[in-house]
Amino acid sequence: MDAVIRIEELTKAFGKNRALSSLSLEVARGEVFGYLGPNGAGKTTTIRLLLGMLRASSGQAQIFGVDCQRHPALAHRRVAFVPGEASLWPSLTGEETLHLLGRVHGHVDAAYRDVLIDRFDLDPAKRVRAYSKGNRQKVLLIAGLMTRADLLVLDEPTSGLDPLMEQAFRTCVAEARERGQTVFLSSHILSEVEALAGRVAILRAGHLVEIGSLAQMRHLSALSIEADFDSAPPDLSRVPGVAAVEVQGNRVRCQVSGSVDPLLRVLAAAGVRKLISREPSLEELFLAYYGQADTPREASGVA
Amino acid sequence: MSPEARGDHQAARVVAAATARRAARSAALWGLVFGGYVAYAALQFSATYPTAASRDKVAAGLGDNPGLVALFGQGQRLGTVAGFTAWRVMGVLTLLGGVWGILTATRLTRGEEDAGRWELFLAGQTSRQRAAAQAIAGLAAGLVTLWTVTAAITVAAGSVSRVHFPVTGSLFLAVSVTAGATEFLAVGMLAGQLISGRRQANAIAAAVLGACFLIRVVADSASSLRWLRWASPLGWAEQLRPLTSPDALPLLPVTGLVVVLAAASTALAGRRDLGGATITTRDSAAAHARLLGGPTGLAIRLSRPAVTGWCAGLAVTGLVGGLVAKSAANAISGSTAIKKVIGRLGGHTGSATYLGIIFLVAAALVCVAAAGQIAATRDEEAEGHVDHLVARRAGRLHWLAGRVLAGVALIIAASLAAGLAGWAGEAADHTGLSFVQLLKAGVNIAPPALLVLGIGILAYGWWPRFAATAVYGLVAWSFMIELIAAIITNRWLADTSVLHHINPVPAADPDWKSAACLVSLAIVAAVAGGAGFKLRDLASA
Repeated sequence: MDAVIRIEELTKAFGKNRALSSLSLEVARGEVFGYLGPNGAGKTTTIRLLLGMLRASSGQAQIFGVDCQRHPALAHRRVAFVPGEASLWPSLTGEETLHLLGRVHGHVDAAYRDVLIDRFDLDPAKRVRAYSKGNRQKVLLIAGLMTRADLLVLDEPTSGLDPLMEQAFRTCVAEARERGQTVFLSSHILSEVEALAGRVAILRAGHLVEIGSLAQMRHLSALSIEADFDSAPPDLSRVPGVAAVEVQGNRVRCQVSGSVDPLLRVLAAAGVRKLISREPSLEELFLAYYGQADTPREASGVA
Repeated sequence: MSPEARGDHQAARVVAAATARRAARSAALWGLVFGGYVAYAALQFSATYPTAASRDKVAAGLGDNPGLVALFGQGQRLGTVAGFTAWRVMGVLTLLGGVWGILTATRLTRGEEDAGRWELFLAGQTSRQRAAAQAIAGLAAGLVTLWTVTAAITVAAGSVSRVHFPVTGSLFLAVSVTAGATEFLAVGMLAGQLISGRRQANAIAAAVLGACFLIRVVADSASSLRWLRWASPLGWAEQLRPLTSPDALPLLPVTGLVVVLAAASTALAGRRDLGGATITTRDSAAAHARLLGGPTGLAIRLSRPAVTGWCAGLAVTGLVGGLVAKSAANAISGSTAIKKVIGRLGGHTGSATYLGIIFLVAAALVCVAAAGQIAATRDEEAEGHVDHLVARRAGRLHWLAGRVLAGVALIIAASLAAGLAGWAGEAADHTGLSFVQLLKAGVNIAPPALLVLGIGILAYGWWPRFAATAVYGLVAWSFMIELIAAIITNRWLADTSVLHHINPVPAADPDWKSAACLVSLAIVAAVAGGAGFKLRDLASA
């Protein structure tokens, strides 16, 4: 049994409002799992259910085989959590906060903690109330990473960090992955997930709409095509599989899903001068799920 | 006027209008309470004691009681509806108005600032100083609302034939009962400029109110100390003597205080950063990690300032009560009515009777401290601080138990502080009460506060949003019941006060059985609350 997180039919309703509907997913040991969705999609709700802060309406969740709802403290023995909302005790200093959180967690790699303090350029003698939002977020990141826990649960961990610190964070996650730690990374910073995650789940209005490796998702999604002609480009809108046609002078841009063969025939016949094809970025994938339909849809274009 | 200047004025008016709207809403409600209490006192007294003879008899009993005089102030012509009503409402409503003033002022100035709403205004075209001045204008509108509603009800009640207050007298009574609110709106406003954080500002202002009340109590405890009234803003209010011998002169210091504090607030607002404070604490500190090994240690560490503050406050209360007990008792030694009462209480001295009342006030204060612990517990969750602990290896109940432990420690420490300081005070004056009696008096005031804590945990476990309101409401209700206990005939109503179940030690022996009941109830309530807390969702950060 190698699933670090196993979620089965997990549902959470706040009154009539369903924040999460029958979510099922597994996160394997050693992977960096990206958890994507816009604000209010249910990312934080999932994490708060995993951490036993919310009571599930139905379904169950396990961490390392321990039921999160029934034995939260036991399930958390090998977990470190970094929330995105950097609210800490204002009267404690950074050092005191790290000491407290380390003691409550139970295990701290002291040498690594010092490396992290250095890497994130934190002054631990300051009181939390004197820290900026970014500095408070650093305290939480260090508190999570310094435990070297087997599972890192990160809920939008880089909110408020500058680009340099964002880079330091990516280094830390890469290190964790190399050490065999599992990372559950909830985020809406797509470049971050793209750079770090092996597998990605996309959540929309409490429903899981897509899950898989980035390579798979790209493969199954539309390609971006850009073609230049010597004269006005041909009409591509009727070609099977082609969408989002955009003409700009002698240049045409479009998306194609499925086979590219019909499109290539039309392009070749019209005398294409230059052709660029590109796999979609995660951002384009993401927007494809959210930009179009207003109604929830099941994994479109994916078998 | 240039376009910029016009923009300035509009932006500033937004602050004034927003503050005025919210202040007026709360003031209208409290005006109903103020006016209702005045009407209740006047109508109840005139109906219960219809004849001059019955009124004189009541007046003789009430006017000589040193404890009541200390609490309500010196009454005049208590045998008349006007005199009785003025005496009955002034002490209570100036104090209550003070509390309202503090909470309203800090909520609408520092509270708004903490919530980040002032940033929106100040990012526009208005200065901090002008925004503060406009907030003062808004609060003034709230005060006018409070006075208007109170005055309307008072005039209406005064027009009843058996009450029969002159209209000008009713209007001046409304001015007098809202004097405390006026003064402490200004105090709250200044406190909000001095320190960052609404709760800290409330604490500072509450300490000032407590000190003013204490000075007033001392001033009314013995005729030789009467001059002390001029040292307390609540004493100024008392000197207004509405309905009996109205005197507008004390309105001078009241107005002066408000003007000075308002000017100081505006000046300070211009000199500090938004979100900052005039009194700043150091940003860096050496780590003191001794207590920070787990949730319980953390709870103790976080409660330490509250424990220190409340212990100091209760110690001062006990000390002052002890110091003036003998003179207060001497002042009434000539009264036969009181001697009879003393005889009924088991032959204790007048000092013991007086201290019994002082410790009732101390009991109410310890209850407020307990309610504050519930509010702090709720804040820990609402701020998302609990998340950091329960996401690790601390169980929810472990954390809650730590908070309860800190609350219990606070209650016991503050109660003992009152008892020990009371002994020190009365021993210095050779009053003749023993150390054990005062120690018992201290221990005696802990059980009601423990019950407040227990009920608070129950409310917190199941209905966290309402927990703070519920406990503060319970404490305010209980103190109110104690203040009007003399005119309550319904036993069930009196029993709803948590303070009603303890004896006035040292004037009587502690009722250990009743204390055990209170503590048992507290434990049951806390356990039930813990069960609810374990089952429910934690509030999102």
